[in-house]
Amino acid sequence: MKKILIVDDEQDIVESLKFVLEATGYNCFTALNGEDGLKLAKELIPDLIILDVMMPKINGYKISRLLKFDNKYKNIPILMITARSQAEDKLIGEETGADEYITKPFDLDDVLRLVEKYLSKENDGCSNKQNA
Amino acid sequence: MVRIFLVAENKDIICKYKKLCEDNSYILTSSSDIDMIEEIIEAENFDLILLDDALNSVNPLNIIKKIKSIKDNSVIILLKSEKDFDKDIIKHINGIITKDFDENLILATLNINLRSKNSLQKLSNTNKDLAESLYRLNTLYNTSSQFAGTLDKEQLLEYMIDGLDKSLSFSLACTLSFCEDNTPLLLLNSLYELSDEMLDAIKLRTVINYKSLFENKKAPYEINENNLKIIKNVKYPANRFNFTLFQFDNMFAPIALGENFYGCIEVFKENHFTSEDAKCFQTIAQQVSLPLKSATLYQEIIETNKKLEKLEKLKSEFISIVSHELRTPLTSIKNSIDILLSGRCGEKTPASEKFLSMAKQNVARLSGIINDLLDISKIEAGKMDFHFKPVDIHTIIDYVKSALSGLAKEKSLNIETLETENLPEILADSQRLEQVLTNLLSNAIKFTPEGKRITIKSELKNSAEIKYPSCFTDELKKLNGDYIVVSVEDEGIGIQENDLLHVFDKFAQIENSLSRKVGGSGLGLPIAKQLLEAHNGSIWCESELNKGSKFYFALPVDMSAIREKALV
Repeated sequence: MKKILIVDDEQDIVESLKFVLEATGYNCFTALNGEDGLKLAKELIPDLIILDVMMPKINGYKISRLLKFDNKYKNIPILMITARSQAEDKLIGEETGADEYITKPFDLDDVLRLVEKYLSKENDGCSNKQNA
Repeated sequence: MVRIFLVAENKDIICKYKKLCEDNSYILTSSSDIDMIEEIIEAENFDLILLDDALNSVNPLNIIKKIKSIKDNSVIILLKSEKDFDKDIIKHINGIITKDFDENLILATLNINLRSKNSLQKLSNTNKDLAESLYRLNTLYNTSSQFAGTLDKEQLLEYMIDGLDKSLSFSLACTLSFCEDNTPLLLLNSLYELSDEMLDAIKLRTVINYKSLFENKKAPYEINENNLKIIKNVKYPANRFNFTLFQFDNMFAPIALGENFYGCIEVFKENHFTSEDAKCFQTIAQQVSLPLKSATLYQEIIETNKKLEKLEKLKSEFISIVSHELRTPLTSIKNSIDILLSGRCGEKTPASEKFLSMAKQNVARLSGIINDLLDISKIEAGKMDFHFKPVDIHTIIDYVKSALSGLAKEKSLNIETLETENLPEILADSQRLEQVLTNLLSNAIKFTPEGKRITIKSELKNSAEIKYPSCFTDELKKLNGDYIVVSVEDEGIGIQENDLLHVFDKFAQIENSLSRKVGGSGLGLPIAKQLLEAHNGSIWCESELNKGSKFYFALPVDMSAIREKALV
């Protein structure tokens, strides 16, 4: 079963994501702040990370940067959740190396589709450069 | 009293003139000592000098030259003896009295010369006065042109003091003015250094002067000897003023215009100030008031603008933060509804499905409003980014049409497109243009009753061919050149003529409009307008109540201006 790590300080959002992803058949782990999220990511080496931007202690951009510039973790696809919709934020995100950006309020179906795009059978989680 | 100086050796001549002068109450001084003459001429002011040419061993011409070298304007009359004399002398003297002149003739000659000397004196005095007036006028003129050239208060006061110094040559000027924070500022422009005791005395004097201006009224600023801020400019710091300064002549004037009080000035001078000086002083002190008023107003405008800018920024930041904060809870609500709607939590009844759909629709509406708020605050803060690329307008029309076809279908609306083929590509941000068109089309769908028709049309038009209602003239007269004009025509409720212009205002609440019934932030059209303006384009509409509206937007075909923008 593919492992997905969800990192968001909003418990409600974490739970709804977890509910839908587990119902679809993924093994979900959760963290409610950036520090725990980074620790878990390094311990578990999940197949995909869903990461919120605005978090206390370590924000999503920083976590993404730390993982994407480390050979050990750089292949883990990261879906970044942002409360902003503007391109400038996407630009910062792109620099930090996240693979996809999801704007709040997002559609759970869209998230599922993106997760499947990265975790489908021909894509075993090692390549994140593929575009749909 | 007429004073005459006689240079002669001959006793007879001296006696003769002594008597003549006594008879006519002239004062006569006489000398024959060549060495004394110089001293006497230098020390005294004679109206006439009589020179006997029969002097022993001295050439009268030399004496004349000597006298002239001491006092150029001396009137010299030669007493001619029988001898021949140097013809050159004629050039240097004012008259000749020969031996055969009788007493009357001599007197007449003296008097004529006296009168002409007086006239000359008067003329020269008048000339001097004129020159002085001219200098003063020039100074006044220069000072007032300097006043006109600045809106800086300190600079204005500097010009005033400079102008006063040039026209009055004061020894000390004490200028009281007030800083932005109402601190009283005493500017001392002094010839010589002032001791601490002097300074204290001047401070005290200034406070008393100031208070005397507002005897019965409340003074506009609080001043005392201790809160006066002093700035000293001393021309010759090596010397020192002492208390005799206060025995100098002085003048004092307030610097005020009507109710507006800017300060006051006192000047001191060792010599007496003339009435001309006083006039000049008053004029300059008055003249500086008007530019000071302008400067004060200008300062106020700048400060108000700063405050407004800050407020505007705060407002934009507030909207942006609030929008961000709203998104997170909205996401949780949306997710919960989606999970329930997906049936993952068990079977839905038709009623629960209906209400969940209702909740879902309203979440979508709310997030639309938040997006609009964010957009408008971004645009207003100048933080909206545009990515200009060559765009085919039909790609955008087709995309928006298909994106909204579901919504149109729900109301059985027929969307027709009338596209002009081979339209030139334009430089635009396609996402933003989609936003504009989506807005216009979704409005048309909202306001058109079921079963009717909506038409989207694209054309290439020259600004001369573009027609619009007169209320848009101010906005649209800037159009110049070729434009791609896109219109969205509906058969909806229409807009009243006097509301046409206001549909593009922020948060416009048009009476009888369905906008609130139908929902929306009221920001869609203002955002569309701003987005188009960023493309150097324009938006307008025409409408007939209960028949329908037609919204147009125009984008310039000439892309050079946009290209420059894109490069920046």
